[in-house]
Amino acid sequence: MNLEKLEKQVTLLEDIQEIENLQKLYGYYFDYSMFPEVMGLFSENTDSVEVTGHGVFRGKEGARRMYEAMLATKRSGWIFFEIMQSQGVVDIATDGKTATGCWYTPSFECRPFGGAQRQTWQFGIYDNEYIKENGKWYFKKLRWSLIFWTSFESGFLKVPRLTDDLAFPNADASPTAYHPYPSRYHVPFPFKHPVADA
Amino acid sequence: MATLEELQKRIQRLEDIKQIEKLQRIYGYYHDYEEWEKVVDLYSDNAESVEECDYGVYKGKEGVRRYYIDLLKGGKDAKPRVGYMSIGMQIQGVVTVDPDGRNAKGRWYGFFVEARPILNLHDGELRQLWAHGIYENEYVKEDGKWKIKKLHFFLNFRTPYEDGWLKTPVVGHNGPDMNVPPDAPPTNFHPFPSGVHFPPHFKHPITGK
Repeated sequence: MNLEKLEKQVTLLEDIQEIENLQKLYGYYFDYSMFPEVMGLFSENTDSVEVTGHGVFRGKEGARRMYEAMLATKRSGWIFFEIMQSQGVVDIATDGKTATGCWYTPSFECRPFGGAQRQTWQFGIYDNEYIKENGKWYFKKLRWSLIFWTSFESGFLKVPRLTDDLAFPNADASPTAYHPYPSRYHVPFPFKHPVADA
Repeated sequence: MATLEELQKRIQRLEDIKQIEKLQRIYGYYHDYEEWEKVVDLYSDNAESVEECDYGVYKGKEGVRRYYIDLLKGGKDAKPRVGYMSIGMQIQGVVTVDPDGRNAKGRWYGFFVEARPILNLHDGELRQLWAHGIYENEYVKEDGKWKIKKLHFFLNFRTPYEDGWLKTPVVGHNGPDMNVPPDAPPTNFHPFPSGVHFPPHFKHPITGK
């Protein structure tokens, strides 16, 4: 084996490791509403972000508007997010400059809405894109599709979705993939079939 | 192009991360099966401490043994209680290996599904519980093997299945045990809804802060 080939293999594993870290750090920062830290993980060339039914936000500026509303707006009451970044599948493009990732997020939450404190279960799936710039990985595109959001007391069959998960008024476009349970909508996986797809 | 030596260092770091991830996950599996002796053996002989929830700080390897065997197991000859269950999934691990390759830190979420008593660790009727918290742990490599040097589990909530974390954030925590007392009081017991954050060890990958 020559060194060049070995370096490529090492770089591939390093890239996967760095992207897994990026996604998990995003999770820890998000759960603590660390707005500047979350923004710092996005490329200046961010394509778009879209979370649940809030709509599509384009560019880094759009991402800033969305996360500002989600993380930097002071809300009264007990806020609590534990959104666990799980089951990551990361694929690096052959040129080593972009990548995709698919993740599940089981989560425990508390937040006030409908005039009361609520405890909720939330479950969703990410299909994200990452980009390597100056040797570091960033988010290029983030999309999190809601599967269910239900009160602790009701469960996902009785109440798959608590309220209209409202579109933010300053979104650039309507949600593209807001089809929670029981729609049977499947988010297209970013990865290829490891056996059947050549 | 990288030299062979450089590549060896880079591979070593990746291997270290994978071994530490495995160590933490194996810790979880042993914990779930109440294999407390095996848990103790995952710690370095030079272990610093173990601290979970409000049980207090148990120092040194001897403290680690007292915590798992005397306190959690209930004594070295204690038999597991029928119906007891505590499955703690080790999730979202972020492992940072020091440049020297001999020390490391890791942050994890722990997500627990439990059937255990809440009167104290061993007595009272079994309750079905959800629990969640955060680990910030330290690891050390000795004789080529990664071991736990320090474990700290910060509890977010431990709640009855029937109530949920909003109605009843914490049950079963009544402070340090009087019969197997810790070496120091709890340093960070602030479950929901305290709003207290358990600071991450890692630096932001872009800003370095």
